[in-house]
Amino acid sequence: MTVIAIDKELCTGCQECTKVCPAYAIEGEPGQPQTINTDRCVMCGQCVQKCKAYLSVWEHGKEAYEAKKRERGLPQSVREPLFAAYNVCHLNELKDALADPEKYTVVQAAPAVRVGIAEDFGMELGTLAPGKLAAALRRLGFDKVYDANFAADLTIMEEGTELVQRVKDGGVLPMFTSCCPAWVTFMERNYPEISDHLSSCKSPQQMGGAVFKSYGAHLDDVDGSRVYSVAVMPCTCKEFECNRVEMRDSGWKDVDVAITTRELAYLLKEKGIDFNSLPEEEFDMPLGDYTGAGAIFGVTGGVMEAAIRTGYELITGEAIPDVKVEAVRGTEGFRTANVKVGDLTLKVGIVTGLKNVIPVIEDMKAGRLDLHFIEVMTCPEGCVSGGGQPKLLMDTLVPEAYGKRRAGLFAHDEALPLRKSHDNPAIKKIYEEFLEKPNGNIAHHLLHTKYCGD
Amino acid sequence: MRNEMGSFVAADNTKCTGCKACEMACFAVHNQGNHVGNTVGTVELPITARLYVTRAEELCMPVQCRHCDNSPCLNSCTAGAIRREEEKIIIDEDKCIGCKNCMMACPFGAIELVPVYRAGKEVLLPGSTEVRKTASKCDLCVKRGIPACVNACPNQALSLVTPEAELADKRIQAALALALTNQA
Repeated sequence: MTVIAIDKELCTGCQECTKVCPAYAIEGEPGQPQTINTDRCVMCGQCVQKCKAYLSVWEHGKEAYEAKKRERGLPQSVREPLFAAYNVCHLNELKDALADPEKYTVVQAAPAVRVGIAEDFGMELGTLAPGKLAAALRRLGFDKVYDANFAADLTIMEEGTELVQRVKDGGVLPMFTSCCPAWVTFMERNYPEISDHLSSCKSPQQMGGAVFKSYGAHLDDVDGSRVYSVAVMPCTCKEFECNRVEMRDSGWKDVDVAITTRELAYLLKEKGIDFNSLPEEEFDMPLGDYTGAGAIFGVTGGVMEAAIRTGYELITGEAIPDVKVEAVRGTEGFRTANVKVGDLTLKVGIVTGLKNVIPVIEDMKAGRLDLHFIEVMTCPEGCVSGGGQPKLLMDTLVPEAYGKRRAGLFAHDEALPLRKSHDNPAIKKIYEEFLEKPNGNIAHHLLHTKYCGD
Repeated sequence: MRNEMGSFVAADNTKCTGCKACEMACFAVHNQGNHVGNTVGTVELPITARLYVTRAEELCMPVQCRHCDNSPCLNSCTAGAIRREEEKIIIDEDKCIGCKNCMMACPFGAIELVPVYRAGKEVLLPGSTEVRKTASKCDLCVKRGIPACVNACPNQALSLVTPEAELADKRIQAALALALTNQA
């Protein structure tokens, strides 16, 4: 399947995209149209964010503009400029599903979407809008507006437990996070020999999908076969992830389609939904309930911070003295911290920007790395800077945009009544009623996988 | 009387990669009144930039207005729509009749005739379904300080040239070089 492409008719061969591609996947001569080497491309979409080579209606004509929109699967109502580097749009499949009365449509949106989507409606950079996001998804006609933040809390329960077990039982360390599908793909292709270092946890998107079609379907009294599961993501690689053969543990495809933040904006505009004037609404319970720990998954260091908040309590039996784990915040490409957890000093590392993981892996293989747990995110500052987020017209706005999107998620975390995943009442409920215990049999079947499989 | 010359944006073709970041920035800052915000998703009108990334054989670079001191565009304008303002040549889009005299007079191809948009909508000619057009060119981001294109270039290929300063610099370099030969 094609996820990311470069349009030969528009590419000027400036090669600015090659400077941001973390996988050295863009090939071609300067001044000539570039091509993507799909064996290397990790589908992160940073080239899509970077590309400024637009189709000029004056130069190429209105016909060419309309033809390209059709070719890329974009709605007719789209009026924004089209660029050489793009991701293939899957809105048509989603629209068919929403129009099909036989389908029970369920949606989840990632943390970073709520600090991105309003930008495409002219709001300030990094505007935090979870209430309007929930309302917007409901106006589109979804039967249930659940949330990837709930699934992020669930991921912490599973991944935190897995880490504690590895540390206590002398398992393979350091353990790497597995939430970022571009990172997972990169590791599978380039470093399959270290795959046992990867957490067996699925990403929040895929945990959410597996739960919606099993437990969620049961709660809503519908057959799992009728559930059509949609993910709105800041990420272009999530569409690839949901099509992986491993991601069918509910008995069906766990997530049927993943669209980007930008594509959600297209759909809302096509339906005439004015995002800014929507009321603040809640996500549907229980699978839309979330804590601050789930919300910060969208920033670099956020998964680590959320895991420490829960891991601390798992190991010591006591609540962490300060939920704000300053030591793991920041935006440097690789940073480490020692966190005191009872008698244990937990040594953690955070990688953001996929290129920065290569020296870390090389150090690990050479025995020079002494860490327990490493978070890896492909995009420059985590998912807030994802390839599917609203695209900035000027790169001079990048520091402000990423900074404000990060600040928005941290502010969201601080304002939420619960800030630790294990305190989420919906998380307690799903373990009581369905999953039994973290890393238990049912959880293992639905929420974990083996990457780099045969 | 001081000999003041108009500043202009100039490109260095050895640095320009042809990425069009300058065109996008130019469009963005000149269309805030058309609801263009920070992101591509806020754009609902065709991109029109006031500088033109141009390919010629092996090289590429943007071409834009030189704010000529003898300004052939101003001299050719029959509608009084072009004026000199602090050494900048500015087009008044409300007065422009779209006659294209300035386009023809400009030796750099730096002026284009474009449809007029206000508040994101095409402006029509009175009593007509035809879209009103205007001559359009670089205004050196008159209200913004450093031109947006100069700021946006990822390769520092664009600079705001101030001819007096440029000349003073060159003369100092020449004097220093000459002093060395005199010593020898």
